[in-house]
Amino acid sequence: MTTPTREVGSDAGRPPARSRSVRLVGAAALLAAALLPSVLVGANLLPVPSVLDTLLGGGTAESRFVVWDQRVPRTVAGLAVGAALGVAGALIQAFTRNPLADPGILGVNAGAAFFVAVGITFLGITTPFGYVWLACAGALVLTVVVYGIGSTGRDAGPARLTVTGVAIGAVLSGLTTGLTLTHPDAFDRMRGWSAGSLLERGFDVLLPVLPLLLVGLVLAAAVAPSLDSIALGADVARAHGVDVRRVRIAVLASVTLLAGGATAIAGPIVFVGLMVPHVVRWMVGANQRRILLGSLTVAPALVVLSDVLGRILVLPSEMPVGVVTAFVGAPVLIALVRRPKVSGL
Amino acid sequence: MSLPRTSHTSLRPLAWVSLPVAATLALTGCGGGGQDGTGEAEASETRAVAHARGESEVPVDPRRVVVLEPVQLDTSVALGVIPVGTTVLNEATGVPGYLGEEAVGIESVGTVPEPNLERIAALEPDLILGTETRHSALYDQLASIAPTVFMASQADPWAENVQLVARALGDEEGATTLLDDYEERCAEVAETHGTEDSTAQLIRPRDEVLTLYGPTSFAGSTLECAGFTTPEHDWEDISLDISPERVLDAQADLVLVTATDVDAPDAVPDAIRDNGDAFPELHVVDRSFWITGVGPLGGMTVLDDIDRILSAAE
Repeated sequence: MTTPTREVGSDAGRPPARSRSVRLVGAAALLAAALLPSVLVGANLLPVPSVLDTLLGGGTAESRFVVWDQRVPRTVAGLAVGAALGVAGALIQAFTRNPLADPGILGVNAGAAFFVAVGITFLGITTPFGYVWLACAGALVLTVVVYGIGSTGRDAGPARLTVTGVAIGAVLSGLTTGLTLTHPDAFDRMRGWSAGSLLERGFDVLLPVLPLLLVGLVLAAAVAPSLDSIALGADVARAHGVDVRRVRIAVLASVTLLAGGATAIAGPIVFVGLMVPHVVRWMVGANQRRILLGSLTVAPALVVLSDVLGRILVLPSEMPVGVVTAFVGAPVLIALVRRPKVSGL
Repeated sequence: MSLPRTSHTSLRPLAWVSLPVAATLALTGCGGGGQDGTGEAEASETRAVAHARGESEVPVDPRRVVVLEPVQLDTSVALGVIPVGTTVLNEATGVPGYLGEEAVGIESVGTVPEPNLERIAALEPDLILGTETRHSALYDQLASIAPTVFMASQADPWAENVQLVARALGDEEGATTLLDDYEERCAEVAETHGTEDSTAQLIRPRDEVLTLYGPTSFAGSTLECAGFTTPEHDWEDISLDISPERVLDAQADLVLVTATDVDAPDAVPDAIRDNGDAFPELHVVDRSFWITGVGPLGGMTVLDDIDRILSAAE
């Protein structure tokens, strides 16, 4: 478990290249393995042969509903949400040079939650499909505001953006709490959303957001080569010939699209964007491209597996996936922190 | 404040003994003001009401009542004692419409889980009704504003809570009449529509899971009162949450889905809509009385609704 010789930014202590590739392949295998239980296991205890039969085109009306209308769509949604959160987390940690940053640090989640609360309270919106647009709009508006405020002055550095994001996020969280406390009806509906859930997230919810996620992923891929330089600081990056301002805007846009899109689909799912890049960094070393690739595979596996757990923990009901990721995430993070050498950026 | 209580408590066991004496001395000109027979025995104008927090001295004829729980609001209005203040489930929508004209003007004193003490005190109530399971921490502060009576839990059979409210308001007879009328209406609906061999299930969509209401809930007990049987489940207290994957567990001869807006196109959750064949008798009903209309007025409104639905279906 422990690799005490690993050093930040030095190749000396990293796992050998072959072992790193093996680990990336392992992560991909983990992802593939997560898909199986996500289709086979759920609150409706259908026998495995019946599920397989349904997948091959047979099955009863009930099993077809359970497999095709419930499990398959939520598995796909879980994959999309996980991938987006993992990549957004890796980007924001490299960008802010803060290993404790998560995609919410720029206030994206707070903005999305506030818009959803306003929609529920004043516009009477009640379905995940309605929340999608509110959450997207909230995330986008908030990032623009944070960037507008945080980039005034000479140094529009990550620190300034982070402080602005945290401050505005805190104000909006307060307003959201105020709204939900005075409107328990809204609170009732927000409860499911704000825990982060994949229930009833069908393709009608996922498809409109998918283009945003894809653009976010493309942007992430585009900035990936510059991230190692950025993670060492703006000055080093400039010395490496990186257009720091451009990369920053691309990273911000990508994080907003990915985290905003993921939040729009499932509500704020905590810990995934924070924890997964950590675990991956520990697995593959401090190479940002590998961390991005690793997060892209490990995070969806974590979300999908957590969702499977949530389906069977409180039978015959379900526990929202966001609650499960928090349960799973906290101990893993503590274990990581307790390692002799914390994996740096 | 403590003096009359002490004297009252010590006198109470002697009430029956002192009754003839009191009558002889004609201390009270108007007998029969109280329901419990001890009230007129004393000069004081209060009655003792036993409740979840012990015993409180409440005015014989409370005029400025503040209620903190839907069943207390409904029962008070039904008994003709319009409260001066009430908590609401949603400050934007206020007092539920089914309570009628008189109730519309009742001042809001915060939400059911979070009553506002300042607004309660400003109304200068002479009686406050609350609920131990919800407002336990506020009892001492409420009691310092006005005599306060707490019911134990909103999950108790609602008819019992109606009786406690009636005791606090000094009108137990009125409550008996209301509950009798309700039972009578139940029998009428059951007989008119021949419900005795049918099952009925109320579903409240919540957080994308489905909450099924059991026979001890307000809605469930009213359906059973109207002759229906509730399908068997392992109820957790008054209800049971199920995953949409198990939506077929919610099948019954009559299935009712609650909504804040019964005409909303998305009132029926996806899981039920996708299984339309399994729910031939499906109706959307108004949550404001089916879920939160606990009390005799709400009960009558629900029974009228059942009558309307069954008449339309025939």
